[in-house]
Amino acid sequence: MAVKTITGDQAVAYGAMLARAEVVPGFPITPQTVIIEQISEFINDGLMDADFIPAESEHSVMSVAVGASAGGVRTFTATSSQGLALMYEMLFAAAPTRLPVVMAVANRSLGAASGIWTEHNDSVPVRESGWLQVYVEDNQEALDMIIQAFRIAEDRRVMLPIMVCLDGFILSHVVEGVDIPEQAVVDRFLPRFAPVNVLDPRDPIMMNPVTPPEFATELRYQQDRAVEAARTVIGEADEEFAALTGRRYGGLFEAYRLEDAEFALIGLGTWAGIAREVVDQLRAEGKKAGLIKLRYMRPFPGQELRQATLNLKALGTFDRSAAFNGYGPVFTEVRNALYGSGITVTDHLAGIGGRDITAEMVRDMYGLVERSARGEKVRDCTWHALRGEME
Amino acid sequence: MYEIRFHGRGGQGAVMAAQTLADAAVRIGFQAQAFPYFGAERRGAPVEAYARIDTAKIRTKSQVYRPHLVVIMDASLLELEGPASGLRPDGKVVMNVAQRPEELDLGAGVDAECGTVDASSIALETLKMPVVNTAMLGAVAKVWNVVPLDAILEAIEDRFGGKLGRRAGMLNAEAARRAYEATVVGRTQGKREYVQPKRWLPVWDEIPIGVSLRKTAHVEEEVGPATTYQHHTGRWKWSTPLYKKDKCIRCLRCWWSCPDAAIVRQDDDYMRWDLEYCKGCGICADICPVEAIDMLQGARGTWQ
Repeated sequence: MAVKTITGDQAVAYGAMLARAEVVPGFPITPQTVIIEQISEFINDGLMDADFIPAESEHSVMSVAVGASAGGVRTFTATSSQGLALMYEMLFAAAPTRLPVVMAVANRSLGAASGIWTEHNDSVPVRESGWLQVYVEDNQEALDMIIQAFRIAEDRRVMLPIMVCLDGFILSHVVEGVDIPEQAVVDRFLPRFAPVNVLDPRDPIMMNPVTPPEFATELRYQQDRAVEAARTVIGEADEEFAALTGRRYGGLFEAYRLEDAEFALIGLGTWAGIAREVVDQLRAEGKKAGLIKLRYMRPFPGQELRQATLNLKALGTFDRSAAFNGYGPVFTEVRNALYGSGITVTDHLAGIGGRDITAEMVRDMYGLVERSARGEKVRDCTWHALRGEME
Repeated sequence: MYEIRFHGRGGQGAVMAAQTLADAAVRIGFQAQAFPYFGAERRGAPVEAYARIDTAKIRTKSQVYRPHLVVIMDASLLELEGPASGLRPDGKVVMNVAQRPEELDLGAGVDAECGTVDASSIALETLKMPVVNTAMLGAVAKVWNVVPLDAILEAIEDRFGGKLGRRAGMLNAEAARRAYEATVVGRTQGKREYVQPKRWLPVWDEIPIGVSLRKTAHVEEEVGPATTYQHHTGRWKWSTPLYKKDKCIRCLRCWWSCPDAAIVRQDDDYMRWDLEYCKGCGICADICPVEAIDMLQGARGTWQ
């Protein structure tokens, strides 16, 4: 094993190389660009045996990925923001065709007001595309999850594509020491891709033909069950990965100092790191704070969250993307899962468009959640560090 | 509320017929709706269209399963699943056929007032093409007294005239008027049992992942969604190709052009026609550079 000081983008590229991805279609977009550049270099240097296919747009990238995966080869790609939006149509081709493509998404604010900085409003809205979605906290997890993602996606019980989401710039362009696993270890964890369906002229098949109403409900339910089956497979993969590397991520979510907590926050991405800091500070002050680092948006760990939060009085959700005239998507999912549990759930929006999230901001969030744990009425949804009064 | 079901083939105008009937009903103060159901659009494919007519607002948008009136625009549809299925006890049938009502067999249990008319001939004479929808509406007015002929003619002139020009509107109204006069009203009593074709309707976990279907998986009727395998398009045809092998230069143009892949290339590059799927469109005969294919009137054979 070797520790290298690399960016999140590079860590993702190492993950794809170690996973022995065979086809990588790509189109550059900040802050994902380094991923496909690094993969191109790996291929050029003879370190990676894969075809890099530069496509004319992200729509084409995902089309190539669908075709390559249907051809029975392990397929990786990466994108971000507008690129992901341009892929939208083909996302919905990959999932029902049950093609286990792995795609890194360097989260970046989507649409106007244009920005290149991180926000989750690119990937979170496509959580109903049939793809699985995992969000990572640091560069090590970014690398490890690319490898795990192939294992989960290609499991016969799942056979679904998966997005590995990493915060743009905050991970994509930050260097950290990353432990690069040995190829032999990765090979032991990740067997060769054994596709269920392969396009082969000698044995022609038809994939996803026009599906009239009398088949469509059954097809969708089958997809639904595959997403459900991923719950189990994610846990198994996490355990086995831990046995080989010593790194365990908790599966669907990671609970931090939650056992005796009275109030906690839950959220996606790099925010979890600073939230750990704040929880430790609060604990030092004698306050029973806890944290749930939500890792997967699909499958969403509804039942597991219900179980994990039984002893909480209040839970706050951190949302790095807005939903208008309502609540952020994490809040919507979490409160839905906890419906009827009696726990007060409040929403906390911050970090929009890449606005830096500081420990003070997270302390404010915890402050509000603590007050609601004491029975005080606080806002259902607070936009943190907003200039001007909320209406 | 009255519910009407039209059975036709792609190109015969069943959808326009349903819309025009609804339009005619609206003109005389009813509330009405009309809508089609079909898969991939293509000429000759069986299609259904529905209309509802009521004095009150029509709230349902479901398809019609228990019609008061069934309009069968093509006699060959009787070969398929009984088009008169679900007809109400007091329901009526209108059919495009040269026979008299009492000579028809619309399936066991069908004992209904029926109007027949040779709408195909009327359409060919009046419109110079076998589009029978407006003639069938004339027959509807004769058999079924809810929407009178005048309202139907007005709706035809407006809708067809608006879309295809005033002259076309008038000719279509003329086709309807002639069909109204020619329609023979009687009673039909059905005897034959329709054998429902076996269809592959798997439960959710029987569908292959990604709906991937191998050709080798076509075991009898177990074929997947939207494959032409299930649709014996050969039963649509009213003309059949005659292949003159001695003239064939093996250019493969017919094989390449067949929209239903019903022309099967042999090892020696001569062709065979799978008439179970050849719908008689004649594209092969048109494209053949050496006139090695003739189109003969009528449907015949399974292979040649």
